[in-house]
Amino acid sequence: MDAVNIAELSGNIAVVGYGLAAIGPGIGVGLVVSKTIESIARQPELAGRLQVTMWLGIAFTEALALIGLATPFIFA
Amino acid sequence: MPTTSAALFSKALKLSLLLAAAVAVAGGGIGFLIYGTPGLYSALIGAAVAAVFGAMTILSISIGAKLPLGGFYGMVLGGWLIKLLLFAVLMGLLQSATFISGPMFFFAVVASVLGGLAVDSYLVLSAKLPAVEN
Repeated sequence: MDAVNIAELSGNIAVVGYGLAAIGPGIGVGLVVSKTIESIARQPELAGRLQVTMWLGIAFTEALALIGLATPFIFA
Repeated sequence: MPTTSAALFSKALKLSLLLAAAVAVAGGGIGFLIYGTPGLYSALIGAAVAAVFGAMTILSISIGAKLPLGGFYGMVLGGWLIKLLLFAVLMGLLQSATFISGPMFFFAVVASVLGGLAVDSYLVLSAKLPAVEN
């Protein structure tokens, strides 16, 4: 890196993409699961329905992660 | 029509695997016509990856449901962590592979994931789950 070009980076930009694709769904899935745990702790008899709802929430959230992690294959 | 969450998860597992098989057959055919043998491999790997990951979510929840709350939490989020790590490693390995076609792999993964979401939504909407189980 020379003195003029202080923002120079080296490496593969796809790695940044992997990170971005993981961080959003990571927060999302964490929230979905934590809220489900909270609800089951309040009303344990609803556990079955809450788990099903949680599963749908996780499926939609992780779809973003899987698609995001596979994007380098078309943008490379 | 599933009437318990356990029945719903087992039906979801079967339907997800069936969907992956359908994507593998249809995508494999299309991929072979457009990209040749690499297209066929890409569609098969893409459908298999999506099937394994969908199945891991369902299995982690149905196994975790039998554990106390802490075990449930660890099972579901631990399963998710392992899944993403596996996926990232697999993507890293496949990026330098010459036997697959990138766009076909991407579209096979997207088709399987979106198809899986449609199947999951349909199952949840059509299920008649009681408010209180057990």
